[in-house]
Parts: sequence; structure tokens; C-alpha cells
Amino acid sequence: MKHRAQLGWTVAGIVACVVLAALWLFPLLWAVSTALRPEHETVSAVFHWLPQEWTLDAFRTTLGAGNLPRWLFNSALVSLLVTVITMAISLSAAYAFSQLRFRGRSLLFGVAMLAFLLPFEALLVPLFRTMNQLGMINSYAGLVLPQVVSPVVIYVFKQFFDAIPADFREAAVMDGAGPLRVLWSVYLPISGNIVWAMAIVTFIGAWNNFLWPFIIVTSNEMMTIPLGLTQTYDAFGVRYAQLMAAALLGALPVALAYGLFQRRVTQGFLAASGLKG
Amino acid sequence: MASVSLRGIKKQYDNNQVIKGIDLAIEDGEFVVFVGPSGCGKSTLLRIIAGLEEIGEGTLDIDGVVSNTVEPSRRGIAMVFQSYALYPHMSVAENMGFALKLAKVPKHEISERVGRAAQILQIEHLLERKPKALSGGQRQRVAIGRAIVRKPKVFLFDEPLSNLDAALRGQTRVELARLHRELRSTMIYVTHDQVEAMTLGQKIVVLNGGRIEQVGTPVDLYERPANKFVAGFLGSPRMNFFDATLAGAGGRSASVGLAGGVTVQVAADVARAQPGAAVTLGVRPEHLQIVRTGQDGAHDGAIGATVTLVEYLGDVTLVYAQADGAAEMVAVKCDADTAPPRVGSRVELVFPASRAFLFDADGKVFAPGWVASEEAPLTRVL
Repeated sequence: MKHRAQLGWTVAGIVACVVLAALWLFPLLWAVSTALRPEHETVSAVFHWLPQEWTLDAFRTTLGAGNLPRWLFNSALVSLLVTVITMAISLSAAYAFSQLRFRGRSLLFGVAMLAFLLPFEALLVPLFRTMNQLGMINSYAGLVLPQVVSPVVIYVFKQFFDAIPADFREAAVMDGAGPLRVLWSVYLPISGNIVWAMAIVTFIGAWNNFLWPFIIVTSNEMMTIPLGLTQTYDAFGVRYAQLMAAALLGALPVALAYGLFQRRVTQGFLAASGLKG
Repeated sequence: MASVSLRGIKKQYDNNQVIKGIDLAIEDGEFVVFVGPSGCGKSTLLRIIAGLEEIGEGTLDIDGVVSNTVEPSRRGIAMVFQSYALYPHMSVAENMGFALKLAKVPKHEISERVGRAAQILQIEHLLERKPKALSGGQRQRVAIGRAIVRKPKVFLFDEPLSNLDAALRGQTRVELARLHRELRSTMIYVTHDQVEAMTLGQKIVVLNGGRIEQVGTPVDLYERPANKFVAGFLGSPRMNFFDATLAGAGGRSASVGLAGGVTVQVAADVARAQPGAAVTLGVRPEHLQIVRTGQDGAHDGAIGATVTLVEYLGDVTLVYAQADGAAEMVAVKCDADTAPPRVGSRVELVFPASRAFLFDADGKVFAPGWVASEEAPLTRVL
């Protein structure tokens, strides 16, 4: 009796997972299906799950016309810079908050965490004015700098550093290491997995960011992928096949990166949670 | 090798004074042990010497140089942590050479010094391993090796054996003693274990509540404790204490009345106390003798007791008894070859007057004296 009930729950669980997976996968599969159709089929009144005529025209047009390679380059450069600078700032701040003792430390940490309460949208106008005054509109600096401070990442690193026994820091101090050296030679290697996890999450976030590039960028040459995708239209309206092709091409680098580093991300989050995994 | 001198050292955390004024001189090449109960300030004092804690007040000299504000790495000191603190991502060789790498010592010299230290500690075969692949004892050696390569003037050990099992602890104690003989360096060792203190230390500093209770050799502290705290802290089982009243004094001996109504003689100079004063009698377990009640030749001044527990330890037998009028149980160390009394039996406890201690109401010891019935002025020097 108990066994039958358990089996029932297992089957129900599997069915629920399949339904959720299907719901999650559907937009992706539809995007692939649309990208492989000719343009006229995407606006056909007759619905077909699969393309009636399979073609790579949308991909060819997207890669040949428009500025996709440039947008890919911009996205990669901006995401990489945001990731590296965010990691540098967050690791240093987290180390200071966790391991150093100075006047006002708790207050400063509180202020940093208060930034959690501020939605990015509330900062758009003052940030834009600041970038304008600094002459950074439509520039890589303008794209990167407002994205490099992340209270979430600082908090995660600080929590992780708090859990590392202070003996390691003290031993390094006794060996002659200064604070930066302790961070670089001791804390960073110990925190390897969590740093990778935060770096990948930051990279993906920067890659997918639409709002700030939309505000700061004024030329086609400086657009990133999410922004560039909005350019896939002509006098006749949105070209859905090209749009889907551009979206898939734009997401491909991040998907590949995540696929390559997925293990590190999982290990990082497990490390942060304290589970062995 | 270097001397270390602490003068008027005080340390406070918020409103809590943890070190209340320490004056101590450690000679060049000495092996000094800081011992005391948890929270007595021994680790804080060690960390002050290391430079990991700031000094609130007072002066710290290392090798004649005032070192209050000198960086830890520039004090000529190396420390072995209780947790070993081996960097988990570095190999044994990298752990041991890290300080030299930071000091920009040439690679060949680092390799040479690491090799030599590894040889002394017999860990050459472990140099490429990571700490997680080492046993507790091996990690201990690597931690010591990391200290040795720096050729420090002073070694600091913060309870380095506390994470080891009993057998390994004993073995490592012997190794540490050998190391001290070989290196002839000044070593300061912190422990809460009085066995480690007694076996390793040339000089023991007993700390309590942020103050030094007594400084001396193991024999000094064991045979001539300055106060009740030191007397009770050293020795296992600890010294037996009996609440008592000074009944009378004669020359350099005293009559002491115990709670059970018994009067005993103690070889102590009680000239500074008045009859009727509250005192504490202290007798070590190995100096108490059990006489069965009713036995021929039973002594005057014997303390009646009921046996509550007998522990056979192989080389000795510990007999615990509830003495008449005493609040705490009394421990008696007996020869394992002698048949111990049965649990529940009545016995009498006697002791040589010259082997007992008398403490005043403040816990301070009365100077040793002698008892007329005993043949010569008695000393407690072994």
C-alpha cells in the first residue's frame, strides 16, 4: 500500500517536471523553429510547429547585414570588463569588511548593503547625468562603470570570507603578507569556486543587460546584443526569423560559457551553502 | 635566539581587562610554557608577543628591541597555530616556503632551507602533498617546519598538540623537546594541559584571570606552589583541599582543625596568622595514605572517609572517598600492586605533616616548616 502511494507520488513528480521542462523549453524551441523558417512563414496565418521550408536564410542575413559581429564584440568586451572590475572591487571590499578592523566598518557595510534597497531604475537619471558630465555617453566607460558595483556579490563574498578561519590570515601575516597579498595568495585560491560562480553570474547579467545600454548608447556601433536585437526591423516591420536568429546567435556565447563552467558554478553555490555536494 | 621581556603588559577588549599587568623575563634559548585554565589570557599574551594583538599598555622587548609596534613578520618570530593553518591550496613545500617567497629569498635557497627543515622533521616524502592528504601528526610537523625555515629568534606555539590523539601527543612532546635541544631557540608554548607544561617547560608561567600566579621550574611549582590556585592546577588528580581552622601553632608547625572534628599537624610557619583563622589544608593524592578503620596502630589525626569510587589505571589505582565533613571528594593515589579498599568501606586517611600545605583565607601558602615529631627540618626539595 505504502509502496503504491510512493510510486504514485514519484510518477506525479516526474509528470510535473516534464510539464515544467516543456513550458521552459517551449520559447527556446519556438525561437529555433522560427529562425529556421523563411520570413514569410513567420507571419503565415496557418500555424505550423515545424518549418514547412527549412532554411538558414535568417542566419545568413543576420550575419551578413546589420552589425551583429560588432554587437557581439561589444557585449563580450563590456561583459568581460564588468566581470573583472566587479570581481576586483567586490573581493577587495568583502575582504576589508570581513577581515580588517577599522573605524566605521559596520556603518560602511550597512551603507553598502542599503544599495540593495535601491532599484537600478531609480538611479538611471542621476547616472545618466553623471556620465554626461564626464563625457562618457555612448562610450565603453559609460557602459561599464555603472555596472561594476554589486552589493549582492560583495555580500556573498563577505559571508564566505567570514567562514574562512582567521588563522589562515594570521599565518599569512606572520609570514609577511600585507592585506592585498593575503587576499590574492590565500583567500582567493581558497574561494576559487565561489569566485567562479559569482563571475559567471555577473558575466551573464552584464551580457543580458538591456536597460542601461539602451540609455547610454546612441550609435549602432556601440550597441550590445540585447540592444542590437531591437534593430532587426525594416520598413515592413519586425523580421521575426532574423530576430530569432539574432537572439540565438547572441545567446550562444553565454550558453557555451555557462556550459563550460557549469560545474564551477554548481560547486561555487554548494561551497557558499556549506554543503559538501 | 633571543630574550623576550614583558613589562607592565595590559590588554583590554571593550570594558573587559583580559591582561591585567604582566611582568615577565624570558631568557635566550629558554623553553617557557604559559599554562592556565581557559580564559586566563595565555593565548592573548602569546598573540601580543606575536604582534597579532595590539598592546594596551606596557612594553614588549624582543632581543633588546622594543617591539610594541613592529610588524609581526619583522619581529623575528614564527608561530605554530593550534589549527596548524596550513594553506589548503599549497603543497607542503609551498606552505613551508611561502614566507621565504614573500621575503624574495632566491628559489634555490628556499629549496635548500625547506629541504633541511623537512629532513629535521622527517617529512621529505610529503613535500609534494597537499595538507588534506596528510594525517594530523604530519600536518603538525609541516606547521613546525614552516616555522623552522624562517630561522626565527623565537618560536611561538599555541596549543599545537590539542588536536592530536593521546598517543600522538606523547610522541610529539618528545619530538618538540628534541627540537628545542637541537635548535637551542627560545620557545614560548601555550597549553591548558598541565602534563605538557610539566614535561616540556624549563620554566612554567601559571596564569589566571589575566595575571601571573607563579613562575618557576616544574619542580618549584609542584613542590612549592605559591598559592592555592597553582597547587590545585598542577597535579593529576588535583591536590585535595580541606576547609580548616587554625587550632594552634608551635614553632614552625601548626595544628589544624578539620570540619570532621579531626585535628592534624602540618609543617608550616603560621606566625602571620591568628588561632581560629580560616585556612585550607592541601594534600596531594600521592601523599595521602589509606589506613583501614580499626587496624592496629591507627594514627592520631587520621581523617575518616567512606570509599565511593576505585579507578584502576594500570600503574596506579585511584581511590575516591568522601571525607567526613568535607564538601568535595578526596582522591588518593595508591600503588597498583596493593589491593584497594572496597567501595563503601570506611577508611582513615593519613599523611606526613611535611607533605601537606596550608593556605590562608586569600589562598596564599604559608611557608613550609617542620614538625617536632619528625627527625629533621623537612624540605620539599627533591
